[in-house]
Order: sequence, then structure tokens, then C-alpha cells
Amino acid sequence: MTDERDPKLQSAYRALGAEAPPRALDEKVLAASRRAIEVHPAPLVAPTGRRSWSVPLAAAAVLALAVGVTVHMQIEQPGIDGLPPASERDRPEEVAKSSPPAVKAEKPAIAAAAPPASGGELRAKPAPEAQVANPARETTANTAEAGPGTLLEREQRAPEERAKPGSDRSLARARDMATEAPAALAKRADAAAQPAAETPDRELERIADLRKQGRHDEADKALAEFRKRHPDFKIPAAMLERVERR
Amino acid sequence: MAAGDEQLMLAYREGDAGAFEELYRRHRGGLFRFVSRSVRERAVAEELYQEIWMRAIEARGRYEIQAKFTTWLYTIAHHRLVDHWRKKGLQVVSLDTESEFSAQPGYEPEGILQAKQGLERFARALDQLPPAQREAFLLHHEAEMSVAEIARATGSNEEAAKSRLRYATAKLKEALGDD
Repeated sequence: MTDERDPKLQSAYRALGAEAPPRALDEKVLAASRRAIEVHPAPLVAPTGRRSWSVPLAAAAVLALAVGVTVHMQIEQPGIDGLPPASERDRPEEVAKSSPPAVKAEKPAIAAAAPPASGGELRAKPAPEAQVANPARETTANTAEAGPGTLLEREQRAPEERAKPGSDRSLARARDMATEAPAALAKRADAAAQPAAETPDRELERIADLRKQGRHDEADKALAEFRKRHPDFKIPAAMLERVERR
Repeated sequence: MAAGDEQLMLAYREGDAGAFEELYRRHRGGLFRFVSRSVRERAVAEELYQEIWMRAIEARGRYEIQAKFTTWLYTIAHHRLVDHWRKKGLQVVSLDTESEFSAQPGYEPEGILQAKQGLERFARALDQLPPAQREAFLLHHEAEMSVAEIARATGSNEEAAKSRLRYATAKLKEALGDD
């Protein structure tokens, strides 16, 4: 069968009449068609066009928000884990000037007595000779200084890292913070476990002072007590001359 | 030269109310007859007719020229009629069967009883066609669609559309005494 219409059928069908919708129905439909345009005017710009810029805009906004939050978290991180603010960590020479090595060596003891919130342990940079003359410190800081990321090494590395561009420095700092955090916690736990009184260095200094003042009995007693408390502690030769009775 | 139906619909989509008025003027009679001869009851036909135009108005934003406007419009009409038949409990699969409700005993077509004897038989035969065959015939003669367009508007294939149209034509010609 083709698409041609049978003429007889066509005329019979036409003879059925040309019914039409009532005028009221026409008015309803036409009114609805006008209302639809008024309520929802057709966009001047094709919908595809609008979508073409709105999606990238939304993506850019999300990206900017994510970067902002990340930077904010990096800035706030030192305050959270007890590390000094970035501004202080970037000025070690000022810290060194304001506090001589001997004073710095005492800082752990102060830190031990005080709550760990100060973060002084991590900032303290003992002089090399103080470290050699003071093996006790090595023992105390054993946990933190084992491995490649020791505090000393990090402090020595710091100027180089500061010379790097900003993003590298931030990354290095973030890496340091990640490695320092567990060590700092361990150190704080050790310090809290020790008696709040004195470190072995400080104790020996006190015994040497007694010896110097001629209070030999007290010095002997204190030294005996010291050896009892620290049987494994090897007193350096220089200090031994000062604390033992001659 | 008058704008084509498709251009008018695009113009209406862009906010031209006058374009829709012209479209409506062109197709109001044909669509109304298609609906009223499909469902018979005048009130129901008017309701369905209005709903079909409302759906066309609502769908204007999605309108793209992929086929003739009439194919698009009568596709909407077909879907609305199928919904109507479903609500009446008539299965869509029965659209092609002979034993559907119009042929039930006691059924009396209205509105054309005063016509001449031959025309009366024709009208009765049209009324008694299975819905799918009647729809194919009406789309062919009222909306002036080809077999391919009928297939597209009714969501069937060309073979089915052609078959329905052939059966409808044969029955109506028989009613006219022209077999």
C-alpha cells in the first residue's frame, strides 16, 4: 500500500463533517499559551549557553574554596601541635642572639617543669660542645633525634629550606611538622615522667657549686645520691674534676 | 510565503505568542476531529483536546525540529489517548484486536444517525474500527500523514502502521460497498 489516499474514502470521510472545537475552548488554549510565555519568558540566551559558563564558574568557586581552606589549615597547624608560629621558626638567628647556649641548654628542664604547651624543646638548639659534654641530653632526646629528621639536622637544614621558593618552604614545613609531632609528644611524655626537680647536668652543676663553696660533705652526699639515681650516667671528665673531692 | 509549522513553533518557543496563534488556527480543526472521532464522547474529547494543547505548550522549551510539527503534535495526542484508554481499562495491546469495547453489544454511535445511509454505514464502520486501526486511518486522512509518519507518531514500525491502515481501509471500503 502506498501513502496515496483512496478518493472515495477521502470524500466519505470529509462528508462526516468538519467539527471544530468550541470558541470557549479556543480561548482557553490561547490564553494558556500567552500565560506560559508571560510567566516563563523564553531565555534570550540559549540554555546551553548559560550552562556553558555557569558550570566552570561553580567549579572555580569550589576550587578557590578548597585552596583557601588548605592554606588556612596550614597556617593554623603550628598552634595545634605546639610548634611555634611560622614567623618565629623563620628567625632562628634572633632566637640565638637573645639566648646564649648555656641558657638554651637549660630550656629543656624549664620545659619539663612547665607544661608542654611552650614548645621550647623543639625550638632549643643546643651548642655542639654542650651536646658533647652532656650525653644525658642525648639520652633524653634519643627518641626525637634518632633517624634522619633530627632537630639538629632540621635546624641546620632550615636556612636552605628558607631560601627555597614559598611553596617548597611550605611543603618542607608541613613535612617537618608531620615528623616532629610524634617525637615532640614522646619528649613531652618523658619530661612529664621525670621528677620536676633537675636534670643531671643541672644537678652536677649544683654539686660543683657546693664543692666550690667548700661544702664538701653536702657535695659528697649529693654526688652519692646522684650516682645512685643515675647509675648509667657517665660524668664527663671536666665535670668529674669539679664534683669529686680532691 | 507563510512560515512553516516548525518555524512557528520555534518562534513560539522564543516567546512569540502570535506564532502559536497561527499554529493553533491551522491545526485546531484537524486535531479536534482526530480526538473526537477517537473517543466519541464530546465532553471527554474536549477535555483531551485541551490537555493535548497544554502539553504542547509546556513542552515548547524542548521542541527541536526533528520531524514535521504535525508528527510531534499528534505524537503528544497519541500518548494522551493511550493514557485515556488505559484509564478506561482498555489494554494498549488490544488496540489491534477486533473485540474491543466499540463492538460490544448495545453500543450505539451518536451524532451521525441523521446522515445518509451510506455515510451512516461509513461512520459506523469507522467507529467500530479497533482503536489502532482507526487512529492510523485518522492520522492518514485527517492529519495527512504518511505511513512512516504514522509509525513515528504512534511509536510503532512502518509494517505495523501499514498493516493497520490497510485493514482500516478495507473495512471502510466494505462499509461503503466498494470492496
